[in-house]
Order: sequence, then structure tokens, then C-alpha cells
Amino acid sequence: MDRVEIQNRIKKVISKVLNINEESIGDNANFIFDLGADSLQSVELVAAFEEEFNIEMEEDKALEVQTVADATEFISQYLK
Amino acid sequence: MSDAFSERMKNIDRIFYPKSIAVLGTNNVRGTVPSDILTNILKADFNGVVYPVNPKERHLFSIKTYKYVIDIEDPIDIAVIVYPSSVMHLALEQCGQKGIKGAIIISAGFKEVGGKGIEREEKIKEIARKYGISFIGPNCLGVINTDPEVKLDASFARKTPDEGDIAFISQSGALCTAVLDYARAKHIGFSKFVSIGNKADISEVDLLYYLKDDPKTKVILLYLEEISDGTALLQAARTVIQETGKPILAMKSGRTHAGASAAASHTGSLAGNDEICDAAFKQAGIIRCEDVEEMFNKAIAFTYQPLPKGNRVAIITNAGGPGVLTTDAAIHCGLELPKFNPETTKILKSELPPTANISNPVDVIGDARADRYNAAVSSIMKDENVDGVFVILTPQSMTEIESIAKEICHIASQHTKPIYTSFMGEADVAVGVDILLRNRIPHYILPESMADAFASTYKFTKFLEDVHKPIPEFEDVDVQKARGILDEALKQGKKYLPEEEAVKVLEAYKFPVLKSGLAESAEEAGKLADELGYPAVMKIISEDVVHKFDVGGVVLDIGTRGEAEKAYNTILDNVKKAKPDAKIKGVMVRKMIPPGEEVILGLKRDESFGTVIMFGLGGIFVEVFKDVSFRIAPLDNIAAEKLISETKAAIILGGARGRKPKDINALKETIMRLSQLAVECPQIRELDVNPLIVLDDGKGCFVADTKIML
Repeated sequence: MDRVEIQNRIKKVISKVLNINEESIGDNANFIFDLGADSLQSVELVAAFEEEFNIEMEEDKALEVQTVADATEFISQYLK
Repeated sequence: MSDAFSERMKNIDRIFYPKSIAVLGTNNVRGTVPSDILTNILKADFNGVVYPVNPKERHLFSIKTYKYVIDIEDPIDIAVIVYPSSVMHLALEQCGQKGIKGAIIISAGFKEVGGKGIEREEKIKEIARKYGISFIGPNCLGVINTDPEVKLDASFARKTPDEGDIAFISQSGALCTAVLDYARAKHIGFSKFVSIGNKADISEVDLLYYLKDDPKTKVILLYLEEISDGTALLQAARTVIQETGKPILAMKSGRTHAGASAAASHTGSLAGNDEICDAAFKQAGIIRCEDVEEMFNKAIAFTYQPLPKGNRVAIITNAGGPGVLTTDAAIHCGLELPKFNPETTKILKSELPPTANISNPVDVIGDARADRYNAAVSSIMKDENVDGVFVILTPQSMTEIESIAKEICHIASQHTKPIYTSFMGEADVAVGVDILLRNRIPHYILPESMADAFASTYKFTKFLEDVHKPIPEFEDVDVQKARGILDEALKQGKKYLPEEEAVKVLEAYKFPVLKSGLAESAEEAGKLADELGYPAVMKIISEDVVHKFDVGGVVLDIGTRGEAEKAYNTILDNVKKAKPDAKIKGVMVRKMIPPGEEVILGLKRDESFGTVIMFGLGGIFVEVFKDVSFRIAPLDNIAAEKLISETKAAIILGGARGRKPKDINALKETIMRLSQLAVECPQIRELDVNPLIVLDDGKGCFVADTKIML
């Protein structure tokens, strides 16, 4: 799976969890600051990424994923 | 005043008096901090414009909402930020780009949580520096300014307090809410209310400077958990108190915190953090309080009534027992119960029943109605022998609680002397207490609190009279010689100065030290004793022996050459037994100081407050009796006087149990010389002069032993 595909799927997940338009999600958007996620939704996002990509993200590292770019990088590395 | 300082004061003023506020990270989930911050600003009827900022919402509480603060077209004075700590840097960066100079950062998750939190706090400090932003917080309740000009409640407190003239600065947000609730029940209002949280940028020191010039603030209350820069705090407090006469009342938690760590000197061991804090506060004029109740008891005394001109109080009561209790409390607090002048006595005699007690404390008798209280209070208020009046009331079947409260308020409004009250009880007296407090008449449940509050205001007025005394400087000292000895010892890696060198340092500062010599044999000891005179004292000189008495290294009262030779051998034997590895330089011989009182002087460096000077009862039991007191150097004459008078040693020196009074002036001079040595020779880490023997008045004092740690 290439990075573009991973990023698109991440944006789809975000759009669903945060209930926002997929087109409005920038490549570097911060879940909280740019997209308005609250702390609970930030946790929900991690769970949704795990489900979408069938992976398990370590809690400490997952909490450091705060932007679309972070998530793309993290998941790309994981799927390698 | 530096540009940076005045810019900072301007930024703080913006925080208290903004014309426009952006609330970053707010939402409409009622009952949460992000939402309540915005609704409190709206509910307090803020006299300016509010701009909510939320990435998802287009409007909140019917107000147009912006995705980013930089999207707002209008200029913004301050930002109130409730975003989670993980994105605080992004929010603050945008505030900087927007040109905002003041911020209140409410969110937690910074230094107080450790780890990443510390990094986050450093990051926001760096951004604030880059853009010249001054901010309150993070991890705080917020800021309230009740001034009708602005009506700002940028906090998540349950209710906005009433307008008043007390400013409250607290490091604990939770305590803030408790204080607001307590104060509301007692009709106490605030001018400014600030929760400083982690005080990553704006601290209590900045706020003291700001509040100094705030015309709405008459009294400043502080609650502190840690003092990061004690010297700066004291300087700010002194400036406020000396320039404006505004009292500062402070609660500093951590009294029971482990005090001084293991220390080489008695001073190091006795001067714990809390003792130093106590001394520093006293010296700066800060009134330290044990709890919230004491703080507000005193705060209302300062703000509601005029300050007393003296310590003479009259007590008016309708019950004997409470009158006696109040008398005891007043005397205990250092107040006096004066005799009334004949005119007052005449009025009391004619207006009160024959069974009444017309001398101080006045008992208007249990069946007194408002007329008797009125007659007693109004005549005594006119008496020039009286500086303040305490009115006590116990609720009896005929007691006109409401009318008496109103009479007191009326009389108080016609005089410039303070009236304090204690309507004892709770349910029945509540109506009267309510009237008193609403009319700014201090009321206390306990007479002890009333006396204590009055004594505090009196002591503060006395403090204000004494503040401008100059720090004496002795010109006969040889700074270079003392510094030379200390520098040389430091160069050699010494941790403490051998006694003969320590004595030279004291001699350079003209401490009263008797001439002495070092003997390296019994014969030399005998010869020296003959030269210096009898009775003589001899003590071991060894860098490995700090507490000489403990190892049998001191012999006193040597009367002949033979005894001196014998003492030399005894001392050497004792020390070799107790400390076989000690390197012995010899035995010091000098004439014994005549009998006097043994006191201790000491100095210690404190990370927060600077140089601490200690005085107390001296001798070998100094750490057992702990009769010591502290001040921060430099000391003026009054500070030296108070340093002495706070101890029990002062009573002994004054001539207890028929003894002759001792030479306090010589002692004071030695204390001030120590203060100058402490300031001019920072190489000294700790110092003990123990004992310093104080002789009869006019005969001076002498250093018997000293230790200097580097």
C-alpha cells in the first residue's frame, strides 16, 4: 500500500469519526487544533486507524500521532 | 524603570482591562472548562467584544466563531486559551502572529505532570518570548477583574465575586474556588482575582508590582505553594508596602516540609526553609497567615476600617465571660486596655445602670437594648485614650440584635477609629452579622480572632513607621584581608576554615575577639597562658574536629602555668581517643572571657531568599532549646533589634531573675557587623559564632568560638 492510499484512507477515517467533510482535511491538519477533535475523539481516531489498517498501535506512540502527516508516517512505517 | 518592565506591566494591564478577547478552544458543551470560560465572560457582562475560536463550530452561543484566531479581522487584546496542552504551542504561535500581547492559559498538562509536560511548558515560554507575549498560567482557574469599567470573568469559577478592594493571587486554582465561596458568604468582594497556576511567565512578583499601582486594590492576598525567587518577591513586597502602605497577607503552604538538611553548622541545621520564609516575610512586612479564615479576618480589618493609631482598645460587652475572654485575647496579642478619661466615665455612669461595669472592659449587662450599646460605644469612640473599640454581643431574650448592629454602623461612619465586632452565636445573631458585614464593620466569631486582627493592623502601622531606616555600614572593616583569607582557603579546596583563620576573618570585621596563641607543646601552652593572663581557656585546633566540646577538646578556667601544661596533654589525649585520625595543629590558648550570657550568631545562604542571619540562645544546647530567630541580610538597626527581641534569650539578656542587664548595644553592633560580613564575603557558606559571650551592660561582648564553612 503506497503513502497516498494510506493518507486517503486516514482522511476517510477522520471524516467519519469527526463528522467533517473529507475535502476540508489538509495533509498536515492537526486533529485537535485544525479539525476540532476533543480528547475522547483523539482516542477514537487511534482506535479507528487500528481497525482500518488492522494494526495495533502502542499507546505511548499513538498519543504522539496528532496530525494527518504523523498518522501517514506512522502507519506507513508499521505496514512496511 | 526598564522598557521590558514597563512593557510587561502594559501587557498585564491588557490582561486585566482588555477591550477584546479571543477564547481559543472554547465549545458549547456546557459544564466543561472550554464552554464555561466563554459563558462566564458573557454572564459577567464583559464590557468589550468576545471572539470564540473553534475549528469546527461556526457559531457558539449565537456568537460568530472563527476557525483560527488569525482569521479574526479585528485587533485582539488578549487570548484566553483552553486548547489541550498538546496543541498549545500552535495556538500561542497564532496569537503571536495576530499580534496579541497578553494571554491566559487555562489548560493543564504542563510542568505539573512532568515528562512531556515540562517540554510543552518550555515550548510555550519560548513562543511567548519570541512574540513578546505575557501570559498567566498554564494550569490555572483564570482571571477576574470586578472593576465596572471592564467586568471581566475569564475563569471557570462557579460565580463571579462582588466588587471589592481586596486582590487575591493564588497558585492553587482549587483554593480559588473555595475562597470565592467563603468570601461570598461573608459579603467580601474582590478587586482582582488571579489564579497563577504554574506561573510559567507572569508570577506573583509581577502581579505585586502591577497591583501596587492599581487604585481599586487596597489589600493584596497571596496563596503560594512554592517561591521561585524569594529575593524578588521580598523586593516587590517591600516596594508595594513602602510606596503605597498596602498590606500584603500571605499563606505559604509547606510548613511541615522537611526543613534543613544535615548541616555542618548549628545555623545550617536550625534554619529550615519555613523558618527562613517566616523571617523573610516578617522583614519585608508581609503578614503571614495560617489559613484562609485568618487571612480574611485580617483582610477585612485592613480594608473595612481605618488603621488604629495605637494599641489601646476598649471592650464593650453585654456578658461578663466573653468580656474576660476578649480581655485575655487582647492582652495576649500585645494590646492594652486603657482607663477612660473622666468625661467618658461620667457619661457611662449616667447612661448605664448601677450594676453595669463602667471601666474597661465595659459591661452594659445582659438586658441591654440598643440605647445602652449606643451610649457606651458613642462615648468611648470619642475618648482620646482609646484607639479602637471591640463590641461583643451575646443574644439574650431582650437583645435588639438588628438595632444594635445598625447603631454600630452609624457610629462607625462618624469616626476615624476602628470598630470591630463579635456577635457571639450563629443563628440568632445572623441578621446582625449580615448588617455589620454589608456595612464593612469587621465581624469575628471568636474574640481571639478579633484581637489578633486588630493587633495585626496595629503592628503593620508600626512597621510602616520603621521602614525607612538606613542600613549601617562600618568603615573600619578590612574587606580585602577577609576576602584574601577566604579566597586562599577556597583555592586550597578547603570546605571549612580552620579556627585560627576564621578568627582572623572576624578580626578583619572588628568582631570582639580576645588575643590568643597556638601552642604546639605543653611547655608552649604554659608560656602562652602566662603571657595572655589567667584564668585561661585552651582548645584543640584541628581541621578534623568541628565540635570541640564533644571530643573533650576544650578546657576552661585554667588558673596556673602548671594547669595549662596539664590541660594541653589532657586535650591531646581526649582528641586522640575520640578521633584517632584527626590531624592536630596544636592547642589554642587565650584568656578566658569573664562570665556572661552565651548567645549564638550565625549565617547561612538560602537559595531562594539569600543570606540568612541567625541569633539565639547559645552554648552547647543550642539545637536542643532552638531559641533562635532569623532575618535576611543586610540588617538595619531595627531588624537587628527585632532579631534579638523575638527570642527568649532577650529576656535573659534584659536581666531576668535579678541578674544585671547585658550589653545589648554591643550585641546589636556585632550582629550588624556579621550582616556586613555576610554581604561582602559571599565565599562564606555558613558561619557560627557560638558562644558569643555578652557581658554586663557597657562591658561589651566577646567571641568565644567560631566556625566558618565555605
